[in-house]
Amino acid sequence: MTSAKAYKDAALAARLSDRVYRPAEDSDPSFTAEVEKIGGTAAHLCFQCGTCTGSCPSAPRSSYRIRTFMRRANLGMKDVCLNDPDLWLCTTCYTCSDRCPRDLIPTDVIMAMRNMAAKQGIVPKNFLATVNFIYNTGHGVPNNDANRVARVKLGLEPEPETTCKYPEFLPAIRKILEAYGTKQLADKVLSEGQ
Amino acid sequence: MSHDIHKYAFFLGCIAPNRYPGIEAAAIRTGKKLDIELVPLKGASCCPAPGAFGSIDLNVWYAMAARNLILAEQMNMDIALICNGCYKSIWEVNHKLKHNDELRDSVNEVLKEVDMEYKGTSNVYHLAELYYNDEVCGLNKLRDSVTTPLSGVKVACHYGCHLLKPAKDREFAGGAIGDSEHPMWFEELVDALGAEAVEYRNKMQCCGAGGGVRGYDIAHSLDITNEKLTNMTAAGADAIADTCPFCQLQFDRGQFEIGQKFGVEWHVPVLHYCEMLGLAQGMSPVELGLDLHQTSCKPFLDKLKGGQ
Ligand code: SF4
Ligand code: SF4
Repeated sequence: MTSAKAYKDAALAARLSDRVYRPAEDSDPSFTAEVEKIGGTAAHLCFQCGTCTGSCPSAPRSSYRIRTFMRRANLGMKDVCLNDPDLWLCTTCYTCSDRCPRDLIPTDVIMAMRNMAAKQGIVPKNFLATVNFIYNTGHGVPNNDANRVARVKLGLEPEPETTCKYPEFLPAIRKILEAYGTKQLADKVLSEGQ
Repeated sequence: MSHDIHKYAFFLGCIAPNRYPGIEAAAIRTGKKLDIELVPLKGASCCPAPGAFGSIDLNVWYAMAARNLILAEQMNMDIALICNGCYKSIWEVNHKLKHNDELRDSVNEVLKEVDMEYKGTSNVYHLAELYYNDEVCGLNKLRDSVTTPLSGVKVACHYGCHLLKPAKDREFAGGAIGDSEHPMWFEELVDALGAEAVEYRNKMQCCGAGGGVRGYDIAHSLDITNEKLTNMTAAGADAIADTCPFCQLQFDRGQFEIGQKFGVEWHVPVLHYCEMLGLAQGMSPVELGLDLHQTSCKPFLDKLKGGQ
């Protein structure tokens, strides 16, 4: 590889002028399609401009880079994506999605990857705790005694007009969580005690 | 200005009724002066939380949100709600299921097991958007309902994320509400109560709580909150107004947590717009449960002219 302007080290010059990233055995070609299907956005149209990372509140305070995840999505780098702890640092603020010049929704690419990771049991505990709260009470943030007292002081009933007051609605909720295997996943991963 | 009563099934979510019940009380009571009647949506659950829950499996998120929507369909009513996170779940799933037959069928197949069917007959609104909408309420009617103007205080509006974003998927009537880069309608709603809304750097930034990040990495999440607090106070804000109880929790408890973790002290009261509206309509801080907030609301209340 020669050119008018090059690094003195020929091997380095060759490497740097090769614009195609080849992840070799890391690549799973079906990954891009699956991300697009679950996320509902045409990730392969990403042209790596970086507008997303430039808009991202999580980027300046971590190694999380949404543009990198977009690139990895298109290179089929499934294992790298699903095992990267940064995957869980997206606040889902959707700022990247409002600014992407290719009209993509990078946030939903992250959501798709999280869904795929969760299926493999790779999911932080706090996410699964929410599932159990909902299974038991219908609420991700349940009522408590101090709040019941406060509600009465405000002229409200101690239990809001939700599953709190009408627990007869809980069996349907539990059935839904079981039908999708969500409850089973929460039990399994939480019992493994990460 | 019409005096028709506008009735909605009131979707509460979790954090308002179970952590900041004053928001619920205020929404119901202030609505009476605005001809907005909020009817209990019996048996509703968590929306469910779009970040924490949707991250695990979007399909179960659709089905659980659909169950809440069906409860309103059975009442033949549209839904009004008071939380941006709930808006993302309830509005967005409604929108997706209305427009995607394949998705609707797959959700209905599971819901059949619990004798429910999603039909797509209800609409979903955030109360803040109804306050702004002249056909339902509008700024004039809001202004007329004020008995104790919130004069002499500066307020930083926190729009939050999930009401407005992703903007390309939202369908607000007219351009005023839908802009997610630099909207001004929240400032107008605050000004209508007699307060002075101030603009601040990067006002559309996230509070830091969403996507499960608050539970996953609290320091990361609070660092985002800290940046917002810095920008809000630089503009002289005496209080923060929000339209989302989860953002409210992040700012309200977050100030305490930031003190513990980073050693930075903040004392900026955080109020949901319904709570501010309650104050402006003459409800007392006790009736609004403002004493339940972790960051004291006292500096804000003291500064209000006429000292309530
Ligand atoms: S903004 Fe859009 S096109 Fe640009 S790098 Fe991000 S996802 Fe790709
Ligand atoms: S949605 Fe996620 S990736 Fe996109 S800007 Fe917000 S935090 Fe960053």
